[in-house]
Amino acid sequence: MKGWIYAVLGGGFIALQGAANARISADIGTWQAATITQFTGFVTALLIALAVGGGSFKELKRVKPLYLFGGAFAAAVIYSNVTAIQSVGLTLTVAAVLIAQLAMTFVIESRGWFGIAKQKMGLPQFIGIAMMIAGVIVLKS
Amino acid sequence: MWQGLLLAAFGGALVGLQNIFNKRVHEKASPWTTTTLVLGMGFAASLLMGLLMEGEQLFNLGNMKLWFWFSGVIGVGVVVCITQATKLLGPTYATSIALISQIGFALWWDTQGWMGLEKVPFTFNQAAGVLIIVGGILVFKLGGAVKLRSARKPLKDAG
Repeated sequence: MKGWIYAVLGGGFIALQGAANARISADIGTWQAATITQFTGFVTALLIALAVGGGSFKELKRVKPLYLFGGAFAAAVIYSNVTAIQSVGLTLTVAAVLIAQLAMTFVIESRGWFGIAKQKMGLPQFIGIAMMIAGVIVLKS
Repeated sequence: MWQGLLLAAFGGALVGLQNIFNKRVHEKASPWTTTTLVLGMGFAASLLMGLLMEGEQLFNLGNMKLWFWFSGVIGVGVVVCITQATKLLGPTYATSIALISQIGFALWWDTQGWMGLEKVPFTFNQAAGVLIIVGGILVFKLGGAVKLRSARKPLKDAG
């Protein structure tokens, strides 16, 4: 039950992030919103990292440098998310994001790109994505 | 309409890619080191893009409201909740529920016109569309799991 609550809240926070970014962008601009939310998130995470201890930033030396830059995608993600929300609304934006996100994961995992262990992907994943696209068409009509 | 959807899909593809990169970082680093790095990189990239696109105007925060300064905490909330849910339910179920929850909240807030979103009346098509999407998420996420379970059975019997 506790796991369910965390998962539902986690999804809610992701949706809230989109709505809040769109709202903040309307007032101060999209790049400003992206910079501020990422900056305040960074400071919060840094404070927690220092308080929790346990880890050290030296650990990052063992990571292949390319992967360290994953976070940088957030700039483009926030910009496209906010612009999409302002043009088609939150529901359609989230739907299109989820389809592309799952399709991307599907391709990477089924090919074993970026050192990810190859996973068996097949018909259910194709049907799942097709259903989601059908859902967007129904939603739009 | 299509431009908005395509732009959202572009962002979604990057989210998928980013999740994979972050996963690789997390294999070698503790959760909070990973989160700090990811958000720090997001900040650096946004700052750079903002400066390139708007120059000094980036620092002109005319209509800034106090709560905007706390918006970043939402991202930290995402990490805490998803990490805990994954620990308790495993990645497949935790992400399935979180994905479904995302679209559910989105529909709810759209129909409420919350957070300055353009209010859209709740219709049968919207409910049906979201339900089909939820079905798609479940088939995508759980379809393989069911197959794996049935494939494992004969092995167990043999052992």
